[in-house]
Amino acid sequence: MTDIPIPAAPSAGLSVFPRRAAAALALVLASLVAVPVAVGNPFIYHVFITICVFAALSTAWNIVGGYAGQLSLGHGIFYGLGAYCGMLLVGAGTSPWIGMVAGAALAVLVALAISYPCFRLHGPFFSLATIAFLEVFRVLALHFRDLTGGATALMIPLKFGSTWMVFRDRWPPLAIAFGLLLLTLAVAWWMRSHRIGFYLVATRERESAARAAGVRTVRARLIAVAVSGALTAMVGTFHAMYLTFIEPAAMFSLTLSIQIAMFALIGGLGTVFGPLLGALLLVPITELARGWLGAKALGLHGLVYGVVLVLVVLFLPNGLMGLVSRFARAGAGGRGAQAASVPAVLRAPERPAVGADLVRVEGLQKRFGGLHVTNDVGFTLREGEILGLIGPNGAGKTTVFNMISGFLKPDAGTVSVRAPDGTWHRPARPSDFATLGVGRTFQIVQPFAAMTVEENIMVGAFHRRSDVREARAVARETAERMGLAPWLGSEARGLTIGGLKRLEVARVMAMRPRVLLLDEVMAGINQTDVRRAIDLMLSIRDTGVSIIAIEHVMQAVMALSDRVIVLSSGQIIAQGSPQDVVRDPAVIEAYLGKEFAHAHA
Amino acid sequence: MDVFLQVLANGVMLGGLFAIVSVGLTLIFGIVKVVNFAHGEFLMVGMYLTYLAVTGLGLHPFAALIIVVPILFLLGALTQRFLIQPLLAAGDHHIQIFATVGLSTVLINLALLVFGADIANTPPSGLRQPVQIGPVRVLLGQVVILGAAIVLVAALQTFLARTRTGRAIRAVAQNRAAAELMGIDVNRIYALTFGIGAACVGVAAALIAPLYPTSPNSGTYFVLIAFVVVVLGGLGSIRGAFVGAILIGLIDSVTGFYVGADMREVAVFGVFLAILILKPSGLFGRQLRLSHVSL
Repeated sequence: MTDIPIPAAPSAGLSVFPRRAAAALALVLASLVAVPVAVGNPFIYHVFITICVFAALSTAWNIVGGYAGQLSLGHGIFYGLGAYCGMLLVGAGTSPWIGMVAGAALAVLVALAISYPCFRLHGPFFSLATIAFLEVFRVLALHFRDLTGGATALMIPLKFGSTWMVFRDRWPPLAIAFGLLLLTLAVAWWMRSHRIGFYLVATRERESAARAAGVRTVRARLIAVAVSGALTAMVGTFHAMYLTFIEPAAMFSLTLSIQIAMFALIGGLGTVFGPLLGALLLVPITELARGWLGAKALGLHGLVYGVVLVLVVLFLPNGLMGLVSRFARAGAGGRGAQAASVPAVLRAPERPAVGADLVRVEGLQKRFGGLHVTNDVGFTLREGEILGLIGPNGAGKTTVFNMISGFLKPDAGTVSVRAPDGTWHRPARPSDFATLGVGRTFQIVQPFAAMTVEENIMVGAFHRRSDVREARAVARETAERMGLAPWLGSEARGLTIGGLKRLEVARVMAMRPRVLLLDEVMAGINQTDVRRAIDLMLSIRDTGVSIIAIEHVMQAVMALSDRVIVLSSGQIIAQGSPQDVVRDPAVIEAYLGKEFAHAHA
Repeated sequence: MDVFLQVLANGVMLGGLFAIVSVGLTLIFGIVKVVNFAHGEFLMVGMYLTYLAVTGLGLHPFAALIIVVPILFLLGALTQRFLIQPLLAAGDHHIQIFATVGLSTVLINLALLVFGADIANTPPSGLRQPVQIGPVRVLLGQVVILGAAIVLVAALQTFLARTRTGRAIRAVAQNRAAAELMGIDVNRIYALTFGIGAACVGVAAALIAPLYPTSPNSGTYFVLIAFVVVVLGGLGSIRGAFVGAILIGLIDSVTGFYVGADMREVAVFGVFLAILILKPSGLFGRQLRLSHVSL
């Protein structure tokens, strides 16, 4: 093993919450309440309430923008919905506490309706679409002035008391804002440390790999946006009551939406406590500047936001949390590389007999434009068998894989998989294939780069179990088998190509598949690793998993395959035992050309 | 009938305005493949510069072009060099969005600090004079804008098609690595393209300022429309953007007259969302993959 000379980094996972970090967090949260109560100054109260509000908004945004990587710049929609729901219900004589719940429910509906079509869009287009929706909401709020009062602000009737969320004292709004912040943080923390959080980050990092691991990526994102929208609306209701007046331009505001996103980026995108840190740093600066410089400082707070944002983007792409964890790592120190003693792969004493058909592929056709990528490809895979799929580059091997794992829809032909109960199914989507026990790797490795090796494998393990502890145990055990145990806590991006290939196999194996589709897992790895990989494949087969392997390393094909299928120009040109196939003139011709075949005939 | 013709004429004029604002954005979008969220603020900066040149130096808005265009070219080139270029390697669109959003925030608030929230009105210098064309009446300034948009589109097309630099720019747009292997300095081309894109906004700014009020938020409205136009035109197609702009101008004008002035934006963004979601390659364009689609 010449692989992976990197130190084991502390796990980014949150289940192992360092005691010092927990103490620091508790201190920060406590000070949010303690400082204003101790000082007793109305302005300080205002600053801390604003911190709580923005930290909560930003934390809620981060569930979509950070975890799921969908950069919404239209979260003002949910904030505005919450605000108007609360305000209108107060006008109708109903408590804003009920308005808060109604606003959250409405936000969930709107979030789902808006996001479902938008999730088809990537990168900047998604952001643009969210901005467009926000503008539409703002204009509509202005238009329906009977409901919203139009451009003239709605004022809340000053009915004091906890029922109406309007207080003479300073501390009750602080308590509510703080409570909302705690709620939002708790939800964000729970999501990040449970299955849904793993799914979201995995989807963000590599959508196709996540789908191969059985993740219903659209559903995961919709859950994220629904939760995030609901929380944002709740904060919106409170904030409207606190501000006591609302107008469409301020509620459905692009500036506010950008600010919310900004705090998350500055604090640390996708981290649980980053947004809190971002708001904690920036809100006081700007509120103080506003308080001291008054009207002269028009634009100053925005300027501070903008400059800090640009600087963070350029010099601290991981935000303040990145900085914190770098210091923490330096402080911990001495956690150097562990000696890479990789355990030998254990072989089952004997191989189970090859059984009945498990996968049936019939008449697969796929055309890209005028090009026939596969033409009438059909074969079967039996239980406990290793099927080698070989052929020159461009023969259509990966296209066949994409069709028998649900990533491509065939133009004609069928793929049937036998379920454990003996019934046959024709799955369509990658997640359906995964449910039936078909797992795959990718020709170009697709690790979840920002997750640790352990977390990568856990995404696979979550397919069969939802409990974090169980998934972790499966991941560890699988990593042990794959020789990845020493790197459990390292980020996947640090692995060498050999390590990444094994990580992909480990991720699939953690899904407990019955059929394993391996797309060139031996390409680009050294001799020692090839031999180890062969042993690993055999041991996997011996546990009763059937394998189809696309492979160019002939040594491996010969050693592993029970049967070999040769694909050329999208058609099967030969199949049979490895020894027969390599002597087949048609195969030699396909690989080496007519001249060579004739010269050696 | 005359009213309808007038509404159409207004739509075309508005389209010219949208076109001239969008040309630069399209160029940057198509070549550097960065969505410049600060594009509207470039426009706003150009409008303030025009305002200063006209009120401070007593220049005609057309003469202000000599000052505004070079400064905006520089602003664009520097933005590329110091803000976008360091982020290109990351290949992460999120961070690029944040970078240009950050720049736009800085520019808006700088304008607020320097000029305050009050509206600055550039003297119209005769550009508000009405012109009678057949049955319809439009403003001289609008005709100038439409004409300038057409000239700008034609000039850019010619530049990209005929000149050596233009060919290099197209090569970089099509395949960055291959262009680099052919000895093209990709970073220089990107900075140049960003500069030209910003210079186009400079032209737009000098022509728009005499007709529209200038404020720190002037750019926000225009940039959203510009994004609509770019997407409608098919992502990076300059001619497509022009056609898209006229179309949006017509939709805006017709909705404004027949449905209600406050529903214009709803119509425009409705069209935008429909195109984005149903036909993301735009009405006139081929698929341009901005985001990495795996598999």
